[in-house]
This record gives sequence, C-alpha cells and structure tokens, in this order.
Amino acid sequence: MSQPILASLAAAVLALGGQTAFAQNKAGEDVPHPGTENFHAQCIGCHGIPGYKTAFPEVYHVPMIAGQQPGYIIAALKAYKSGDRSHPSMRGIAASLSEEQMQKLADYYGRAAK
Amino acid sequence: MMRALVMVLGALVAIGAQASGNADKGKQKASQVCVACHGADGNKPSAPDQPVLAGQYYDYLVRALSDYKNGRRTNPIMKGFAAQLSKQDIEDVAAWFSSQTSSPLHNQR
Repeated sequence: MSQPILASLAAAVLALGGQTAFAQNKAGEDVPHPGTENFHAQCIGCHGIPGYKTAFPEVYHVPMIAGQQPGYIIAALKAYKSGDRSHPSMRGIAASLSEEQMQKLADYYGRAAK
Repeated sequence: MMRALVMVLGALVAIGAQASGNADKGKQKASQVCVACHGADGNKPSAPDQPVLAGQYYDYLVRALSDYKNGRRTNPIMKGFAAQLSKQDIEDVAAWFSSQTSSPLHNQR
C-alpha cells in the first residue's frame, strides 16, 4: 500500500476517534476544526501577535495560548462565559461559544507546540 | 541615524518590558506555594485544567494573581493561594515563571 493511502487511512481512523482528531487542509497543514474558523480569526487578532497588549480596561500583555493545556483553555473560556473571569472582549467572545466549539479551539491551540 | 534611533527605541521597549520582580526570590516562593500544582518551573501542571506558567508574560501573570487575590477573578483554589502572596511575592513569582525558557507556550498559530 502506498504511503499517501496509508496516511489517509490513518487520518480517517483518527477522525473517527473524535475529539483528538487533527483537522488538516489538503496540503496536510494543521488547521482549525471545521466550524471554528471564524472564532480562530478572532483569537489570532490578539493572541497571535507577539508582544501584543490589551488596550482596555488595563494595559498588559495578552497571554500566550498556543501550546497551553487544552483543559485550561476550556476552563478559562467557561470562566469568561460564566462571569467568573472578567474581560470585556473575552467575555463577549466566550459567551458566543458552545462547549463543543471551546473544545475544538482548545484542542487546536493546545497542539501548537513550539 | 534611523537605525540608531530604532536601536535606542528597541532598548527602551526592552527595559519597559523587564520584570520588576526578583526571580530568585520568586523561585523560592514558588517552591513553597505553586510547586504542587504547577511544577517548580511552572511547566508541569498536575491536572489537565491547570495552566503552564513557564514562559508566560510577566505582566499577565501579575495581573492574573492580583485578580485572584482581590476577587476579580473567581477560582476557589487560586483564591487561597493568591491570598498567601504579598504584592511583592506576586511580582517575584511572576518574574520567576516568566523567565523560564523551557516552555511549550508561544504566540503564533
């Protein structure tokens, strides 16, 4: 069996496995899970810029989330949604996310090891 | 001239971004307060929902700990630990964790 076919089979098996499945584009690059692309675009607006700082309500570096533990990213998003954590932008974004979308985004960022 | 100006500005930015806490003192404090859950260098969370702290931004860590301490950020576990830290302790442990270079954290995705 040829290498690409093996790879596709492996990808298919992983996909069937559910949550841990990698989302890849045709070039084999790691991409956000389907259905979370628009949210990803919102994330990188602040978290994807090295050294980027918040402007409101106080100025400090936006935390790095790539490579962070997925479980923590989910916990943080839930805390923003519930109001346990307050930040105007994050509260608004987290409020619009379903739990499934949180899991998918957390999985994508958590896999981004250096 | 332009290049010199850019270098001077760069140096100023670097100074501005420098941690004001003492990393050595922070290391000591972290070994008493933070180690059990986050690991000595902030790189070994003991549970999946606990964050990696190693290499995180200094000012974000100060902000997070301060918010736990003053109740702006609600978490029963972190509230108890942050309560044990003075403002100086917070700056020290933030200096320690942010200066750890062995970390999976980065800001590009």
